[in-house]
Amino acid sequence: MFAVILLPNFRLQAALRFREELRVLPVALVDEQAPKAGLLEISEAAARAGVMPGQTSPQALARCAALTILARSLAEERGAQAALIEMGGTLSPEIEATADGFCTVNLRGLRVKDWQALGAGVVTGLASLQLSAQVGIGPNPDLAFLAARHARPVLVVQSPTAFLANLALHELDPAPELLAVLRDWGIHNLAQLTSLPQGDLMDRLGPEAGRLWERAAGRTERPLRIVRAVEEFSEAFDFEHEIDTAEPLLFLLRRFLDQLALRLANACRVAGQIKLTLPLANGGAYERAFTIPSPTASVDVLFRILHTHLDGLRLDHCATGLRLLITPAQAERQQFQLFETPLRDPNRFGETLGRLAALVGEENIGVMEMLDTHRPDSIRLRPPRFHELANAAPPADDLTVGLPLRRYRPPIAAEVRVVKHEPVRLESARVSGAIRAALGPYRASGGWWDSDRWSTEEWDVEMEQRGLYRLARVGHEWRIEGSYDEPPRATRRGAPPLAEIPSPGA
Amino acid sequence: MTLLENTSPLPVYQGEQAEKIVRLRDILAEKFPAMQPKAGGILRTGLAAIDAAEGGLRRAAVTELSTASGLGALFIQAMLGVVCRERCFAALVDGARSFEPVGAEAALARLLVVFCADALQAVKAADLLLRDGNIALIMLDLQAAPPRQLQRIPANTWHRLQRLAEQTTTAVVVLTPEPMVEAAQVRITAGDGWTLAAQRRWQRDLIETARWRVFARRASGRPSPVWEGARESSTA
Repeated sequence: MFAVILLPNFRLQAALRFREELRVLPVALVDEQAPKAGLLEISEAAARAGVMPGQTSPQALARCAALTILARSLAEERGAQAALIEMGGTLSPEIEATADGFCTVNLRGLRVKDWQALGAGVVTGLASLQLSAQVGIGPNPDLAFLAARHARPVLVVQSPTAFLANLALHELDPAPELLAVLRDWGIHNLAQLTSLPQGDLMDRLGPEAGRLWERAAGRTERPLRIVRAVEEFSEAFDFEHEIDTAEPLLFLLRRFLDQLALRLANACRVAGQIKLTLPLANGGAYERAFTIPSPTASVDVLFRILHTHLDGLRLDHCATGLRLLITPAQAERQQFQLFETPLRDPNRFGETLGRLAALVGEENIGVMEMLDTHRPDSIRLRPPRFHELANAAPPADDLTVGLPLRRYRPPIAAEVRVVKHEPVRLESARVSGAIRAALGPYRASGGWWDSDRWSTEEWDVEMEQRGLYRLARVGHEWRIEGSYDEPPRATRRGAPPLAEIPSPGA
Repeated sequence: MTLLENTSPLPVYQGEQAEKIVRLRDILAEKFPAMQPKAGGILRTGLAAIDAAEGGLRRAAVTELSTASGLGALFIQAMLGVVCRERCFAALVDGARSFEPVGAEAALARLLVVFCADALQAVKAADLLLRDGNIALIMLDLQAAPPRQLQRIPANTWHRLQRLAEQTTTAVVVLTPEPMVEAAQVRITAGDGWTLAAQRRWQRDLIETARWRVFARRASGRPSPVWEGARESSTA
């Protein structure tokens, strides 16, 4: 058996998929690339109002003043077609993307008792993806297609002869000349056509008439051009007007994610990465990819990630559309280790990182990495990957000498008086006074082999009035690089809430 | 080492006042069961003086470390060793962009660093991390922040942080130059003043020989601790 899943008025359905409010209204679709072609497809309400496909927009508006005219969107059609192919893929791996808006599925080998229920399941599945489908099931692809065209919404052809007998001749889409000749002969339906001898028909009208006769008899067999469903889960929407606030985007994103989550579930996948694209009014586009820390198909989690990002997003130009692409991944199976303390909710953590990045800036948050150089303060922050850390904990290095430095970023310019090659007095905006003792100099240099040459001379100094600092001389300029210990500066917050309690022996 | 209790200068609620507080807590516990604090636990620090007094850092509580900046940096280094040992994750919210990673390389992969522009922003960042609940240890380092910024932090901020901490199992340490966190459940102070000789000693010796003092609010067995007393632990 073969099944054909047909989306009638496919291009209009794709355009109305995320415009529910327009579905009951008179709507027509035009191709902005070919404006002279007239209306491509129209809704039922538009047809009732007397609008017909092929009319020009002014003609259609003259018939129906309330008509809404939408532009065809190839991106939206791609999303709808992908959803259709994925749905076919849930029935069988042998799918043919026969044309835009319908696919043929080879059901041979499928042990199904109730073909009607199978078709109804497909219709329901596509309805949840906001697509109205008709499913035809028959012993060959052509019969299944004819059945799909007549399905309301599912039609299973058990007896091809009986089904074909009542079909009009034009249902087989014969060449106009051939159709005219047959009509002149008084042949109007397929039963009348198949009552004629096939050989004689071919002798008189040519091989095309022979092929038409075979189709009318339900005897055609053809191999399917199998396509492999591309695991690319995307949705798109083009706005009629420019969008300058986040609310419409969030509204649509939620609906996109609802749809994509269903499609992911059908394919037994979860979201590994999300790519958000906003086409802008200036012709450019804003793009941002989000890697999901713990791949999931949870709409709430995915939406929170996008919501957090859009909350802090400022663009120079208005958005004219929305694209969302999900790269699928296998669901993770994690075995927690006995002595490991993993992130309990990696996705929530990722979301918190997003909020923190919005607060302090992306460049100010992350896991610190020391660069492969001896140059002071050569660090960078990279996004944390806590959930990917190996279980083995690196040994803590407790063989460090001296007090840790608190670095001043940027360093503080200073004037240092040097006597007998040793600093003896320090003057700066932060600390000034006589230097009691100094350790140094600690010299370091690098980059002499290229233009990024650096050289520094460091001193650790103890101030007369208290405080340990690191001074550095770069060229002829002195600066304070940081402090090892600095006397507290009074905060004047009043009496502390906890006072030290003297011990009994004191 | 000494351990004292019930000698706090903090207000002690007694009689009718104490009963009112208990009744209020019961009403709140009944109306908002989800807000009940979780069982905390302890995160061992490896510092003898602190572990002897409290067993370590209290989880689900705010601890204030009020010391000179040198000891604060030493404490951070010590806690990074704990992070490695416990194989957990920590966050350092740096209110003055002063953290220097040299000497802590082993723990860097487990440490989320948040550089903040000022102390207020640092408190907001700590708030977000605390709400997240994934991090075992949050260190909010305000020791190098200018005094003017510290003065601008509203006092109720600390109470909010403490209430948030109670809903998690996170140990929160606020490093301040002088005591200012009113809602802190534990306060750790230490003797200060280093000389240049410290630059030639092992860090672990420097940490162990610091005169740590621990002051704690004793839990009353009720959902949240009552200001009943304080205890002190110090190493000579």
